[in-house]
Amino acid sequence: MIGAIWRAFLEGLATPLAVWRSSLLARTVTITVALSGLAVTLIGGYMSLTIADNLFSGRTSQIVNETTRAATAAQALFDNSVTAAGTIDVETANTSAQTAIRSVQSSPGASGFALLRTPGQITNQTMTSSSSAGLDLGVVSNEIRARVVAEPDQLHYQSVALEGAASAPGIVTAASLQVPSAGSYELYLVYDLTDVQTTLTEIQQTLIAGSLALVVAIGLVTFFVVRLAIGPIRRAARTAERLAEGFLEERLAENGEDVIAVLSRSFNRMAESMESQIVRLANLSKVQQRFVSDVSHELRTPLTTIRLAGDVLYSQREGFSAENARTVELLITQIERFEIMLTDLLEMSRYDAGAVALEVDDTDVVPLIEECLDQLSPLATEKGSELRLEVRGGYGVSELDQRRVRRVVLNFVGNAIDHGEGRPIVTFVDSNEEALAIAVRDWGVGMSDREVDQVFDRFWRADPSRQRSTGGTGLGLAIAQEDAIAHGGRIDVWSKEGEGTCFRLTIPRIPLAPWTTSPLALPPDTLQDSDPTGLPEHVGESA
Amino acid sequence: MTARILVVDDDIALAEMIAIVLRGEGYLPVQAFDGKEALELFPETRPDLILLDVMLPGVDGIEVCSTIRESSGVPIIMLTAKGDTTDVVRGLESGADDYVVKPFNPQELVARIRTRLRPSSEAAQTILVVGDVRIDVPAHEVKRGNSVVSLTPLEFELLVTLALKPEQVFTREMLLEQVWGYHYKADTRLVNVHVQRLRAKVEKDPDNPEIVQTIRGVGYRAGATLKGADLAP
Repeated sequence: MIGAIWRAFLEGLATPLAVWRSSLLARTVTITVALSGLAVTLIGGYMSLTIADNLFSGRTSQIVNETTRAATAAQALFDNSVTAAGTIDVETANTSAQTAIRSVQSSPGASGFALLRTPGQITNQTMTSSSSAGLDLGVVSNEIRARVVAEPDQLHYQSVALEGAASAPGIVTAASLQVPSAGSYELYLVYDLTDVQTTLTEIQQTLIAGSLALVVAIGLVTFFVVRLAIGPIRRAARTAERLAEGFLEERLAENGEDVIAVLSRSFNRMAESMESQIVRLANLSKVQQRFVSDVSHELRTPLTTIRLAGDVLYSQREGFSAENARTVELLITQIERFEIMLTDLLEMSRYDAGAVALEVDDTDVVPLIEECLDQLSPLATEKGSELRLEVRGGYGVSELDQRRVRRVVLNFVGNAIDHGEGRPIVTFVDSNEEALAIAVRDWGVGMSDREVDQVFDRFWRADPSRQRSTGGTGLGLAIAQEDAIAHGGRIDVWSKEGEGTCFRLTIPRIPLAPWTTSPLALPPDTLQDSDPTGLPEHVGESA
Repeated sequence: MTARILVVDDDIALAEMIAIVLRGEGYLPVQAFDGKEALELFPETRPDLILLDVMLPGVDGIEVCSTIRESSGVPIIMLTAKGDTTDVVRGLESGADDYVVKPFNPQELVARIRTRLRPSSEAAQTILVVGDVRIDVPAHEVKRGNSVVSLTPLEFELLVTLALKPEQVFTREMLLEQVWGYHYKADTRLVNVHVQRLRAKVEKDPDNPEIVQTIRGVGYRAGATLKGADLAP
């Protein structure tokens, strides 16, 4: 239940959050409004407090003055009511005092007074306590009465709530009077402060309305200013996007001399140089392709002549002396080597020029690998290595360039034969939904980590002193890697000195489709490394 | 009879070397060093086969090939330096029967030449009928309705091979072996291009072929030998 509410809350939050993240404008306006709102609230609050304070303190001092005057007048009246004989008609004095007080208590909001006898005294006479009509004596709290009794020389006042239609603010002032022969009396004046409160409320309302209007105005101003400032940036972003999509002729408008114009100019300069660079590279690439094709033709024709000549001589070597026969043999093998090198070099420069297009066919990769193994099996037999094929999957068709994949497999197996020390060489095939993997494992000399790092470098050889039988040019793995990349795949290598090497090709089942994991581990794990001859029963043999 | 072979290559050394190899195999080579010379020599020498370099100064190999194809079905083998570019397809589309990629060895070249020069297969039946196309095998004549269709020897052999076994679907590899004589993996574009050329000549509507039908993902098959009768297994 709570979870559901929380989820709904999060979902409700998702849209504003997305807007927050994606819109600089929304962010700027929100932050500005929040901060200015906070500032206005603080300032307005302070102003409101100060105004209230001033209003009330002005009014209070007026009331206090009035009370002092009323008390003085009443006290004087009482003092003067003593006759020469020393007697006093307290009730008469009382009446005159009340009149005097009433006339003094004239400021707005005056709502009455009370003249109360201080309780707990014994005197010759007693003057009646009195209060103005309609005054609720409840507003005179015991607290203020106690204060008056405790400090009769001082003037006291207290804020109170007056009962009315609605509770209204009020103030009660108090002074002590000495009525001759009747003892201590307390004079209380009650004032209604509703008018002050009304004024204050009006001021506060005006302040709040003003603040709100100010915040809204700031928000609007920010919105327009930011939009004005963001507009060019947004245009620049859109243009950059278009450039990235390959529309190299896209440019920004350059107006004025401000920072935006500077941005536009530098942006356009950047686009300009990018465009010219790309065009230059494209031209270079075309020149390179032309060069490759020309070299291809120019070198191949004389090579064909040499080869034909060599073969004609070779076919007649029986009639030659031993020396000459051997010479012709050497000639033939080196022509072959030269030919392979030329082919590899041309292939490599084609890749470098980006002039490679896959020729894709629906292919069952297993027969293709079997053909490769068949082709290399005489060489493997010569070296004493047995070629085995372990098919775990990959029977379904994959779209691939057969010539290139064949070349990669031949390269892997050829290398394994060269460095396999005559031990068995196992080719693994497996596939998953996304990708197809071919791994070739040998149990030969292996490589150090440093050598593994260099293995794809052009013309790099693991061990120059090692006799090669597959006529490698040193470009094989570099080309194989390009073949893998052209398919959207990759080649991984595992090797340990003394334990052997494993090369693994992984390519997507459809060229350039995304894939995440290779179907085969590196190295594939069914076999016991220490005893390559102890292969499990199910390992298939190559045909 | 000694077969005459016209060797067209602008590289004098290579042309001479090829001539040496061909003489060694008992053929009679005639050399031409550019396209113009080749076109001049062709009617005089009436060669049994032409070896034609693609890149020639002046009139290039593609042009020579299509010019010769206008008047003759003589087997043409292209010599190309670019095994994997569009040149091969252009050469085949202009009418070449086969191609050899430089650098080639003599055995390869001679094998290609032999296949193209061998007498076409002995057909058990002398008259084959595919749809509205009638093939007279001994006479090397193909008729659609009453009009004679002129096919090159290669196209004729391709059609006969398919027509002899109308129930069989031929994969491109099978056709490469039986018609072109390749016993190893070869370029399937050879088959594709020549099937297109054959269809252009024998089909009423090459876009909806009835004589040479495509079996998707497998290969090709001759269309109905007799209408309605081919439903029997």
